[in-house]
Amino acid sequence: MGDSDREGSWKNTVDLMNRAVSRRDFIITSGAAGVMTMVPRFARAQSAEPYRIGVLLPTTGSGANYSERPIKILPLIAADINSRGGLLGKHPIELHFRDDQTKPDVGAREARSLILNEKVKTIIGTWSSSVAMAVQEIIHEHKVLMLTATSNSSKIVNENYTPYCFMFGPTSGMQSRATVVAVTRLIKEKGWKKYATLGLDYEWGRDAQRVFVENLKKASPETELMKELWAKLGETDFTSYISAVMALKPNFLFGAIAGKDNETFLQQAKGAGLFKGIAYPGVFLPVTELMQQAKTLPRGIIGINRCPFFANMDKPLMQKYVKLYKDKFGKEEFPDDFACMYADALNALDQGATKAGTVETEAVRKSLTGATIETCQGKLPIRDCNNQLDCPSYLGEVVDVPEYPFPIFNPKTMIVVQGHDVWVPTCDEVRALQKKRS
Amino acid sequence: MPSDLSSFLIQLFSGLSRAMMLFLVASGLSLIFGVMNILNFAHASLWLLGGYVTFSLYQAFSIGFGQHGFLLIPAILLGTVCMFGIGWLIERVLIRRTYAYELPEQLLLTFAMILIIGDLIKLIWGVQNRRIFLPIEPIEAFGGFINPYLFIVIGCGFGIAAALWFFLHRTRYGKIVRAAVHSREMVSALGIRIPAIYAGVYAMGVAIAAFSAGVFLPIMPIGLGLDMDLIVQCFAVVVIGGFGSILGTFVASLIVGILYSFSVLIWPGGALAIIFLILVTVLIIRPWGLFGTEMRF
Amino acid sequence: MPVETKPVALSNETEKNSCIAALHARAGLSGPVIAALGLFSLVVPLLPGEFPTIVGVEILILSLFAGSFNLIYGYMGQMSFGQGAFFGLGAYATALLCRWYQAGSTDIGYMQFFLALLLAIPVSALGALVVGFFLVRLTGIYFSILSMAFGELLFYIVFSWYSFTGGDDGIQGIYPPALLRDPHYYYYFTLAIVAVATFLLWRISRSPFGYTLRMLRDNQRRTAFVGVNIRWAMLLNFVLAGTFAGVAGALWGPFQRSVSPTLLGWMQSGSPVFMTLIGGADFFAGPFVGALIYTVLNAYVTRFTVFWPLTIGTIILIIVLFFPGGILSIIDGRLSRNRGSRDS
Repeated sequence: MGDSDREGSWKNTVDLMNRAVSRRDFIITSGAAGVMTMVPRFARAQSAEPYRIGVLLPTTGSGANYSERPIKILPLIAADINSRGGLLGKHPIELHFRDDQTKPDVGAREARSLILNEKVKTIIGTWSSSVAMAVQEIIHEHKVLMLTATSNSSKIVNENYTPYCFMFGPTSGMQSRATVVAVTRLIKEKGWKKYATLGLDYEWGRDAQRVFVENLKKASPETELMKELWAKLGETDFTSYISAVMALKPNFLFGAIAGKDNETFLQQAKGAGLFKGIAYPGVFLPVTELMQQAKTLPRGIIGINRCPFFANMDKPLMQKYVKLYKDKFGKEEFPDDFACMYADALNALDQGATKAGTVETEAVRKSLTGATIETCQGKLPIRDCNNQLDCPSYLGEVVDVPEYPFPIFNPKTMIVVQGHDVWVPTCDEVRALQKKRS
Repeated sequence: MPSDLSSFLIQLFSGLSRAMMLFLVASGLSLIFGVMNILNFAHASLWLLGGYVTFSLYQAFSIGFGQHGFLLIPAILLGTVCMFGIGWLIERVLIRRTYAYELPEQLLLTFAMILIIGDLIKLIWGVQNRRIFLPIEPIEAFGGFINPYLFIVIGCGFGIAAALWFFLHRTRYGKIVRAAVHSREMVSALGIRIPAIYAGVYAMGVAIAAFSAGVFLPIMPIGLGLDMDLIVQCFAVVVIGGFGSILGTFVASLIVGILYSFSVLIWPGGALAIIFLILVTVLIIRPWGLFGTEMRF
Repeated sequence: MPVETKPVALSNETEKNSCIAALHARAGLSGPVIAALGLFSLVVPLLPGEFPTIVGVEILILSLFAGSFNLIYGYMGQMSFGQGAFFGLGAYATALLCRWYQAGSTDIGYMQFFLALLLAIPVSALGALVVGFFLVRLTGIYFSILSMAFGELLFYIVFSWYSFTGGDDGIQGIYPPALLRDPHYYYYFTLAIVAVATFLLWRISRSPFGYTLRMLRDNQRRTAFVGVNIRWAMLLNFVLAGTFAGVAGALWGPFQRSVSPTLLGWMQSGSPVFMTLIGGADFFAGPFVGALIYTVLNAYVTRFTVFWPLTIGTIILIIVLFFPGGILSIIDGRLSRNRGSRDS
């Protein structure tokens, strides 16, 4: 007992030191907004004009938690491309980082500043969908590419579609339909009859809940929705909601909660014993959460995530990302979903430029639309009517495994729902949604 | 019906815990305003800072003495003391200089502190959310499960309320503070140096906030932006109860907490609207709050 | 009725004299400053690159926003923390009508666009009338808090009324007509509107009504004794301020191509407060100078650091602690000292 304690505390010390180191690193890369170039000096001499990319992610407010790993991995991927001389072997990548503060008008202003001052040709980001859609208007007008993954409102690729914007993760609609696929399976298996929903009262939460309820009704009409509960964004005390759900005694609860609120809810629900009698399938658990909540996360709940490294360790690109990341930030560190998706975005740009034979925006855009690209989840096509990557969603039971110091989705029972199975079925329907742009 | 009664009781209990959470954060705010006439916009930010400090202390203790949940208690206490010191320093260095000016300057000062504290947290602790893990197991009560930690939160809420009452009514310093809430001019006319008690009151307000942040850590992960979510609700509670009245803040917390808890059942999504309606009504009919006294403004 | 009282240290006579002197000096300083800003604003689009023009548009809109706030703060002596709500109402009124006109495409006619901008005036005025009706009963800290509470209430309405306002996603794709999409043209368009609005604000501040407001600021009870209907005057002023904020908001949407509920939030309401304070609330030109400094800093500081909140927070801290009258009062102090020495 004593010995293991001491060993534990020593391990903690190391952990803490590692964390301190990586944190300092993060401040160095992001604290000075400016340029994050990693151009080998020899490469610079003979290179053509650098290819400038704006990275627009929040480091202020509640979204900041999910920006850390993308901000850490992007310079590594850029350095990797630059070690080959950059795009097309001659345009070294320059990354310009900005904080969007999770505010749409700040995002729009920073996007303009990046485009006009730093002359970026591509913007990578953002976290909040409302910011992404504000930035979308700006990049469309200036004919600059936008590669997004974290902000995943379906509107970005449907209603507000612009040919300059590419989506590298599943949209909220795709994610909700993927959850329905898994839940329908579970309903049959476990004989569930009734359920309740708890959503965060904002666009993403409403949208995710609506799509889930509508599609579940189609897939399993006899399953009864008992009650819809809505919590406000930034809720700090879910106790009342938890007791309300427990009083209803549903078979399962569908939660459309994300971010820090999700963690608060899980922690309080676990303490209150919600998961003792009620299943909780379909909670959004990106790798970030699996790592951060390693100790507190209730085991056995069924989560969904967008691009987990542990499900794709057989893909060469994923192996590369994990290796790059570990070499730089320590053995215990892994890239999360967002880092992997943004790394894919940057690599896709590289492939697009190679295919087009130029870094001119129009040519790169055309070469990427409809192309099949190499990603960390294998070779995936980009849909030609809305630039949506045909990427899967992953659903699985949270379990501990010996390989990692945090829980992952049970590899034996994990359900992988392909993107083309859950997106808006035909391109005609997609085009009907898209509004005309001048 | 017994099942209805039990769900009623559990809902009431949830409301009580929410009420105590609100009270713990808002009581310091109320005290500071009552005595110093300063609307401390930065209160929730200092609360958050207290949470981070307690978190780091707990981690440091865990390294020194091995992981144990009870280490949270000294961490909270030391964190409270640290934040008392920081509060004292803030009053001495910053707020003291604004007494010569008027309300707006003081508002702006504390507003600026929100921005500064937020970025300082980012500089020191980075952007990741932080949490403390305690192996809390649900217990059975009222025919259902309940989180035992809620009892601790409620206990702390009542404890702080009682301690504040004792302090304000049974100690000399507290009586001066109470007199200052009522009439600053009269107290200073009696030859008591008002500014001397300001630093103590401000520091105490911040310390109570830090204490509550520490208490919540095992059930509420902390992260950037949390202060913004909390401060508006705290204002609502303080205004409804009446500035400077600890009893008022306590009662208002109970009203808001329990109403919120039941409106979750009846009007999901409308809970916040109800609070704002109460707030607006109180401000229009009785701007000094339910238990406050009509004051200098 | 709670009334704000101030310690009266000076005898009435000296107080009056110094007040008059101060008024003259301030009017004297604001005139040239506004004239200089006006002249400078004419040539901003000639600066190299498109970015200064875009920052220029932002400065113009935010100047008007800050100027509207100062009508309540600088002249009436009340601190509104809900001015963002009217800015947002104006922005949403314009955005919603624009979206209705351009359903299915991004084209909009000139008349339609101007109508959409005009709609902001009645909408924000109506909003300010309703809020102001309750607000003018209070003063001091209660005024601040109630204004903030109403601001948050309006924020939540816009935030959660999905079917009408689009919820927290906001509304995207609000484009001005073809010619005005060029930032240079939009700049001069905004400049014209802001210039007219500034002129109106100036007239209001010089009018008998403006002096009534100053009287209200200095002593409400005495003002009432003179026979002024305090609430009526405060309400009128609040509606005027809300309307100017609404006009500023109306210009914002087509400039950013989108609107979102954050425009109504209390952090947004804080920015005109910061600007006014930086420039100097006692001066007509204060909010304009403040908006210029704040926006230029914001636009260029973020190129070098992500710690913008820390930067602006520190600046405000320094101003509050050491230059509580704002930048213009420093200049004013220097000037009057020189003048004083010349006179003697």
